Amino acid sequence: MKKEIIERISAIVGEEYISTRKDVLLTYASSASMAKEPVMPGAVVRPANATEISEILKIANEYKIDTTVRSGGTSLQGEVIPKPDGLVVELMRLKDIKLFKDLRSVRVGAGVTYGELDKFLSEHGLWVPITPESALACTIAGNTAVNGAGPGSSLFGCTGDLILGVEVVLPNSEIIQTGSETNPNAPGPFLRYAFGPDLTGLFIGSLGSLGVITSVSLKVFKRMEYFDYNTYGFDTPEQAERFLIEIRQWDVNAVFASIYEGPVLELFMEMLGDEYGIPPMEWPHRTVSMTIGRVRKDMLESDAKKAQELCKECGGWVLGVKELPRGEWNERLWTFVRASYVHGWHWRTLYHHQTPVNIHRSVEEITKVMDKYGFLGHTAGFFTDHASANMYPHLYFDPTDQEDEQKIVDAHDELAVTLYKTGAVPFKLAPFWKDKMEGTEKYMEFLKKIKDTIDPNGIMNRGVLGGI
Amino acid sequence: MNEVDLDDLREELLQCRRCGICREAVYDLKGFEGICPIWRNTSGFEPSFMRGKIQIAIALLDGVLERTSENAEALYQCTLCGNCTQICGAEFHPAHVIETVRGILEEIPNEARDRLAASISTNDNPYQEEASVKREWVKEMEFDIPTEGDTLYFTGCTASLRMQETAKNTARILHAVGEDFFVMENEPCCGSVLLRTGKQEVARTNAERAAKAIKESGAKKIIVSCAGCMKTLKKDFAELFDLDLPEIVHIVQYAAQLIEEQKIPLKNIETKKVTYHDPCHIGRELGIYDEPRKVIDGIPGLELVEMNPNRSAAICCGAGGGLRSYDPDLSKRIAADRVKVAEGTGAEIIITACPFCETNLNSGADLINSSVRTVDIVDLLAGSIKAQE
Repeated sequence: MKKEIIERISAIVGEEYISTRKDVLLTYASSASMAKEPVMPGAVVRPANATEISEILKIANEYKIDTTVRSGGTSLQGEVIPKPDGLVVELMRLKDIKLFKDLRSVRVGAGVTYGELDKFLSEHGLWVPITPESALACTIAGNTAVNGAGPGSSLFGCTGDLILGVEVVLPNSEIIQTGSETNPNAPGPFLRYAFGPDLTGLFIGSLGSLGVITSVSLKVFKRMEYFDYNTYGFDTPEQAERFLIEIRQWDVNAVFASIYEGPVLELFMEMLGDEYGIPPMEWPHRTVSMTIGRVRKDMLESDAKKAQELCKECGGWVLGVKELPRGEWNERLWTFVRASYVHGWHWRTLYHHQTPVNIHRSVEEITKVMDKYGFLGHTAGFFTDHASANMYPHLYFDPTDQEDEQKIVDAHDELAVTLYKTGAVPFKLAPFWKDKMEGTEKYMEFLKKIKDTIDPNGIMNRGVLGGI
Repeated sequence: MNEVDLDDLREELLQCRRCGICREAVYDLKGFEGICPIWRNTSGFEPSFMRGKIQIAIALLDGVLERTSENAEALYQCTLCGNCTQICGAEFHPAHVIETVRGILEEIPNEARDRLAASISTNDNPYQEEASVKREWVKEMEFDIPTEGDTLYFTGCTASLRMQETAKNTARILHAVGEDFFVMENEPCCGSVLLRTGKQEVARTNAERAAKAIKESGAKKIIVSCAGCMKTLKKDFAELFDLDLPEIVHIVQYAAQLIEEQKIPLKNIETKKVTYHDPCHIGRELGIYDEPRKVIDGIPGLELVEMNPNRSAAICCGAGGGLRSYDPDLSKRIAADRVKVAEGTGAEIIITACPFCETNLNSGADLINSSVRTVDIVDLLAGSIKAQE
């Protein structure tokens, strides 16, 4: 990167917070994603606030510098891999947290992690009830940009469903605020759907392509204190899937409901069984592991009873292994780490959503590519909000074996096509989906027009959002 | 140390899946209030915390990065405190691996490391002091300390040359309880700093020499007051060099047991609110958390208030891993950070069980003009014993 560019950015953030050192650049060439080759940027900058970011983007536009925004560096689908000689804008210095207790909302800077926010809110008896599985390392802003999900999503939806507004530095360097805070006289974030169209939504899941999210305002809730943990067995996928729908229909407060194929659960338990205190056992064809949460005990008891009735009505039986959901829920801030490491391999993923009654189709397609390419993998999923399930296939490979890794790349590519045909939708429009989503041409064209309009120089995370 | 298999080492490094939890995880459930003291006290680019360090280590080993001082800075800018290991879900010990990588990359120039190594080779201490000075503190004691016996008080370079009160007070405790102990005429350096900074071969030679000297002293039991010596003698000598030493205990373990058995009658000292800083070498490395707290609880007049984080999630004082020599300013900033946490508890003093931690925490306090001073646990314990005599 040209010296004059570095000097100008340096004048904005201070010499201490920009680097062109090769060792530093190397560490920003990749993220937690194992699905992309590292790419060396030309510089990394760590601004302190939206104003500095705005000034930086003016320069990036002037010189047409490819710019990649990054916070926790935890993304798994290559969303923050820079362009060669590009600029990485790292947001971890934006650490402000402001609680609006009466508005039941909080505003956080782009560098605040879920772990930090959870601790802060717990001191007020509150929480943000969705916890992505990288919660100790990922930021709320980053997770907004990928519209993540995790424990808590079974009741509260994806991260985007909690957002009341965002502050964004647009690619053209203008700073805008969305939601009720657009009104400078507003007491804080209390309404997302203010001022017409949902511009907040434009940035949720935008993968850093449409601007830099510098702060996020989101809903907070009274922290639940009462939980029921249980597991439910089913002989067929359809029974288990129906159970999930019935749970929702009857307003049973399942904060986290995961559905596991028998062999997948056996694999998990080989890894985590001892830790969770679960003795070896033969798991049913399908197991639903569910945590019900309530702020009031009487409501919890009613929900727990109803869940057991619904299980039986759907043809299942109560397994009663409480350690599994308890472990999943209580350790939810750390689950990602455990899931990432226990098998000892590297992995690719292809996040997607299915309808609950179609979960088995994802399992079938993944099994097919595993059989065809001959690799270890699995998928499981969890219920998310109204009528969807977040599926997270893992495709394992040995990072020291290039042939093995290529096999996974090919299988991953094929899987995007076959999953899409089952009716699944990508909620993180990672570049892997490019050209694999038949029938979305008009939609993608429209999305591209938006991108071109607000980022005329195409500097922001080019090619990442579904290839745009 | 066994020959390092580079393929095995690389495989260990690849255990890191770059999740980034080693940066600043706040995980109330398990007591983590941030992880990496380097990340907190530098400009915070990725190489400052373990995820970045691992990537750089791989690149240096693979030749992707040229082996220069600048490119290797991240490897040395680490206290090896091991807090990242506590939170890491992978089945490897990042801090130990970085220590090994430092050894493999010994060719990379590092003035501080080489200065320390030269001093240990020449003077048997890293402080460039004459070896003969090491036992000078004994002359100031109010009782005789022999040079032979069954129980060796292994003083350590820092206590004998820089923090003599620690040495003296440890000796006073041992004397007060009737322990028949001795201090070697020519005490060798344990070589902790050699190992931490990647001078493994020199460390091996040093360790063999030290083990031989200890064996020849006739010691049947070793008591140490330095956390670094404790970890090196107890763990590294055995695991890395296959060297057997007699039983080794830290003075806090020794004292805790005596207090439990009510063999040290202690009297009130001036009432104080205190906090305890867990040294990494006896804490995370050896799991010694309860004993120092038992000692503090046993000293009438002291009220212990815990810092958050503490025990296995405690943040390092900043002195370890050779950092105090490699980057003294950073080392002191980290110490100042820890002192601020102590200030937040309302404690008047910080107690620790390592002269190196004590030194650095006091440097940190000076940096921020804090009135909270750090003392060694033996200073208070000896004071309490003295009060009842």
